[in-house]
Amino acid sequence: MTVVSDEQLLARCRAGENPAWNELVERYSRYVYAICTQGFRLGDHDAEDVFQDVFTRVYTHLDRLREDASFRPWLAQLTRRSCLDQLRSSAREEVADEVEPADVDETLSLLDDALTVHTAMAALSESCRDILDRFFARDESYRVIADALGLPSGTVASRISRCLDKLKPLVEETGAAARPGIG
Amino acid sequence: MNAFDHEELGRLIAALRPVPAGWVRAAQELPAARLAIEGIVSRAVADAAYRDRVVADLESALAEEGIEPTPAVLDELRERFLSD
Repeated sequence: MTVVSDEQLLARCRAGENPAWNELVERYSRYVYAICTQGFRLGDHDAEDVFQDVFTRVYTHLDRLREDASFRPWLAQLTRRSCLDQLRSSAREEVADEVEPADVDETLSLLDDALTVHTAMAALSESCRDILDRFFARDESYRVIADALGLPSGTVASRISRCLDKLKPLVEETGAAARPGIG
Repeated sequence: MNAFDHEELGRLIAALRPVPAGWVRAAQELPAARLAIEGIVSRAVADAAYRDRVVADLESALAEEGIEPTPAVLDELRERFLSD
């Protein structure tokens, strides 16, 4: 399966193609959400404000992004700043400088690796993407997955294992391409 | 990124959970929202009574255009009216 690069997607967004914008939002929505809720521990109400603010800024600043290959770190920085603004606006004035969680860098590094894995998943078959997402990201049980996909429940674990085997080399390939400075 | 086994891959897949329903759709509607904002602003420039109604109730003006009045969209519309 051919995966459209960020650069291609951004070019199509600038050309006004709504499907490209939809794809860009879909591709990065979980990452932005995770930075808000895991990195900065925002509740869903504040996280939703930040989420919409971030994508509004992305949309309005698309023309100003100098390096399309740097979209991902730019988005992370944009989200981080927006989370800090949100925390400062709700914190008491005297503690406003101490709003950033102590372990935020560690969490954001984990989320960056997680995004690399999810990006690599895009190159898997739809059935593999679906079963891995259901089991790991949506916490669905073998029984629920088997019922939803019409599989014998005894085969779900082995299918997940086979899909992880297929994912591993894709992650190594994607991870190399996503290292800082390369994109 | 370091080498990893199935457990580590699973942990990383699990780190990016689904976004609550409606958030993605609202963000995807931003291009339409911007078009609607442009339309509201243009109409308000030409029609003072309409402008007064919009300024009094931004959310209803957006709702009439079928646009979700998210805080980000409301902020943008508010800024446009303050700057115009």
